[in-house]
Amino acid sequence: MTILKNHDTKGVAFVDDAKLTARHVNVFYGDKQAIFDVSLDVGANEVIALIGPSGCGKSTFLRCLNRMNDTIDRCQVQGDILLDGEPIYDGSMDVVPLRARVGMVFQKPNPFPKSIYDNVAYGPRLHGLATTRVELDAIVEYSLQRAGLWNEVKDRLDAPGTGLSGGQQQRLCIARTIAVDPEVILMDEPCSALDPIATAKIEELIDELRENYTIAIVTHSMQQAARVSQRTAYFHMGQLVEVNPTEQMFTTPEHTLTEAYITGRFG
Amino acid sequence: MDMNFNQHISAQFNADLETIRNKMMTMGGLVERQIAAAIDAICDGDSAVVEEVIRREDEVDRLEVAIDNACTQVLVLRQPAASDLRMVIAVSRVVRDLERMGDEACKIAIHAREYTQSSHSQICQQAIRSMGAEVVKMLTGALDAFARADVSDAVDVVRNDKLVDQQYASALRELITYMMEDPRSISQAINILWILRAIERIGDHARNISEQVIYLVSGTDVRHSSLSEIEERTQQ
Amino acid sequence: MTDSSLSTRQKVERSLARRRATETRFHALGFMAVLFGLLSVVVLFGDILLKGSSTFRQTVIVTDIHLDAQFLGLTPRSKEAHIRRADFEGLIRQQLHAAMPTMTEDEARELHRLISIGAAWQLSDWVVENPQHLNQTIRFELLADHLVDQWFKHDRRKGISQRLSDVQLSWLHEWADSGQMYTRFNRLFFTHGDSQEPELAGVRGAMMGTFLTLMVTLVLSFPIGIATAIYLEQFAPARQWINLVEININNLAAVPSITFGLLGLAIFINLFGVTRSTPLIGGLVLTLMALPTIIISARAAIKSVPLSIQEAAYGLGASKVQVVFHHVLPLALPGMLTGTILAMAQALGATAPLLLIGMVAFVVDVPNAISDPSTVLPVQIFLWADSPERAFIERTSGAILVLLGFLISMNTLAVLLRQRIERRR
Repeated sequence: MTILKNHDTKGVAFVDDAKLTARHVNVFYGDKQAIFDVSLDVGANEVIALIGPSGCGKSTFLRCLNRMNDTIDRCQVQGDILLDGEPIYDGSMDVVPLRARVGMVFQKPNPFPKSIYDNVAYGPRLHGLATTRVELDAIVEYSLQRAGLWNEVKDRLDAPGTGLSGGQQQRLCIARTIAVDPEVILMDEPCSALDPIATAKIEELIDELRENYTIAIVTHSMQQAARVSQRTAYFHMGQLVEVNPTEQMFTTPEHTLTEAYITGRFG
Repeated sequence: MDMNFNQHISAQFNADLETIRNKMMTMGGLVERQIAAAIDAICDGDSAVVEEVIRREDEVDRLEVAIDNACTQVLVLRQPAASDLRMVIAVSRVVRDLERMGDEACKIAIHAREYTQSSHSQICQQAIRSMGAEVVKMLTGALDAFARADVSDAVDVVRNDKLVDQQYASALRELITYMMEDPRSISQAINILWILRAIERIGDHARNISEQVIYLVSGTDVRHSSLSEIEERTQQ
Repeated sequence: MTDSSLSTRQKVERSLARRRATETRFHALGFMAVLFGLLSVVVLFGDILLKGSSTFRQTVIVTDIHLDAQFLGLTPRSKEAHIRRADFEGLIRQQLHAAMPTMTEDEARELHRLISIGAAWQLSDWVVENPQHLNQTIRFELLADHLVDQWFKHDRRKGISQRLSDVQLSWLHEWADSGQMYTRFNRLFFTHGDSQEPELAGVRGAMMGTFLTLMVTLVLSFPIGIATAIYLEQFAPARQWINLVEININNLAAVPSITFGLLGLAIFINLFGVTRSTPLIGGLVLTLMALPTIIISARAAIKSVPLSIQEAAYGLGASKVQVVFHHVLPLALPGMLTGTILAMAQALGATAPLLLIGMVAFVVDVPNAISDPSTVLPVQIFLWADSPERAFIERTSGAILVLLGFLISMNTLAVLLRQRIERRR
């Protein structure tokens, strides 16, 4: 097989209006290196899909973008990651406002064991986004509407969030993320625990959210990457092998590894 | 990680793609024989061959439908991507061209009946023979290029299409000369015109197949491009 | 390898019988183990209940008493202290004497011995409350001596008597037959402290001591234990010395409890000069004992909080402390409470460490503060079990029942609390 050594990323990794900029990012878990010299831009108001076989580092890279890896003790991040030109791993950048600006939706729907209302209101309360109950109500309603959940839950906002179906729970998590008005939303395999209908709804939602947010999504489903993203980045064993516009990625990938992965020859 | 990039994880997928390719090649071979037989029929005047060509046209049509269905099946069940996707799409387009070539061969055979019965059977025989040989060679070349996924062979076929077009133009001029010299030969000349036209069309279809080979290999769509453009884009 | 003439299905079927037999055997074994456990519990409880339930009845002898003000030297306006000093014992003797004028001196002494010295106190208490009945004749339930109590409750029907003379027995039979002697609910057992006289000994002192000691333990060990667990699980850096702390905590949980008593004696009493025999020192020692259990169970509870919930909160920009207090603690609380109650139950039954810090003292007064000398239920049981009187043996079982009641109510409280918290989610 092709041995990846000091290779350059194929395709177009950089864009003009970058929201997030990663340069020469290396990530270590203790002695084990998980990410090798990855440079990649995430453009404003685009959906970028990160694909690759299990353990290729795509989730690790995603979690670097809002410093979620800080919570893991042995994880060490080198290189520069900039949000609107500001380095996020700089001492001057506080991780709390960073995570308010770069929200995250996780693989498994993880609503808090609280009411639907409290789930969505948690972030705004945390950051003091609303001073009155009326304002908070407005934020909750707006967020649930953006997440396409309002009509389904408006009569039972006091019901526990954990009582919703899987797809609804995931949309609740998206609403919860939207509620703190982020600029970027990171999604770590948001549909892997959902049925096809729920998946379709989330994908539709991602498409709608693109107007206002920049979205980076890790997915195992190549069809999903193809459906929702404008650009696709292929990771392999911790390296960024190829980044290209999605339609090109799925018809004529440049790298042999990308081709082999996309056509289902390994993975 | 040790892996063979030539094989899919799903063996059945491999088998499906292989079947489609093989069937397309079979169809290509059949069409090739049909064209060769039709052109031979013109020159030799063998009516048995003519009937055979017309009869086998059905077979070509059936193959087209079968292969197209197989392509749809793969698209629906396997959601192929990248080279697999291009392969299925290319095959689906190629069988369409092959079917049209089959139709043209059938037309040539029908016209061949009248051609051999007429007294002016010597007109343009040379042009028909050489053009016919050329398009058969083109088709063979295109199918070979497809089988070997060879872009330069495919470009050669496109180049040859230019030659066939030139031969067609000069044959037309020859026909016009005949018609002006002897108005009685006009009905026969028109018949020959149809035959030449059909052969020229076969050349165009062979060119289309070659274009699909380029699409299959490099992913660039070179349909409706000039030869120089194609040469330029395949250089990259 | 195996008999190839058989098909796979036949092989499977052949092994099926063996597998079913194993399963049935294991099932039966498990059932028997449970049955054995249940039986032991039933036997134990049955025995204690059988022996202890009679503690809750007390024999009394009802008799007419003329409250002779002159004899007592009292007037209806006498002060309480004055009343208490009056010779009610003499009055009771005189009244009993009056009922049987033909008695000799010896017989009179034997008659007096049938009545507890507590009877006089009870009578004086009654007069303090109802001074208007002076110079009237009242019917009063005189507390019987423990020998009489035991005879009436256990020996009468069997026709045996221990340490009672024939003449005493004849009176007792007379009282019993005339209905003058009967048993009533033993209120004293729950309102009195310890006493030399079995019929006057109660568990109130030990209960209060236990309650106060456990309060001290709970107030100290719960916050310390939870804080330690949270620090170790959420904040501590992964360093070598943290591992050392972990190992030591685990080891502490397995240290024999008497060692904690020695530690308490050496450090709290000898070094810091805390008064011995008090619920305070008892609570301090039991805190040491309960902490490892609480820390270990609290850590397990924190570990079981789904990481996904914490990640969700971090992802929204919550700080570490916010994540801990908004999400980890509420979700881990039921588990922490269970662990704490377990540790408390363990502390409730701890006897050995308390013996070393002087809680084994004979304490008559019911303690009211954590600095009052006191004893605790298990130590009280230990003390009574050591006494020769039959009546104390009975009271030992009674005290065990009280202890079990304590335990059951504590566990019930824990279950209710847990359910409440879990329902709130």
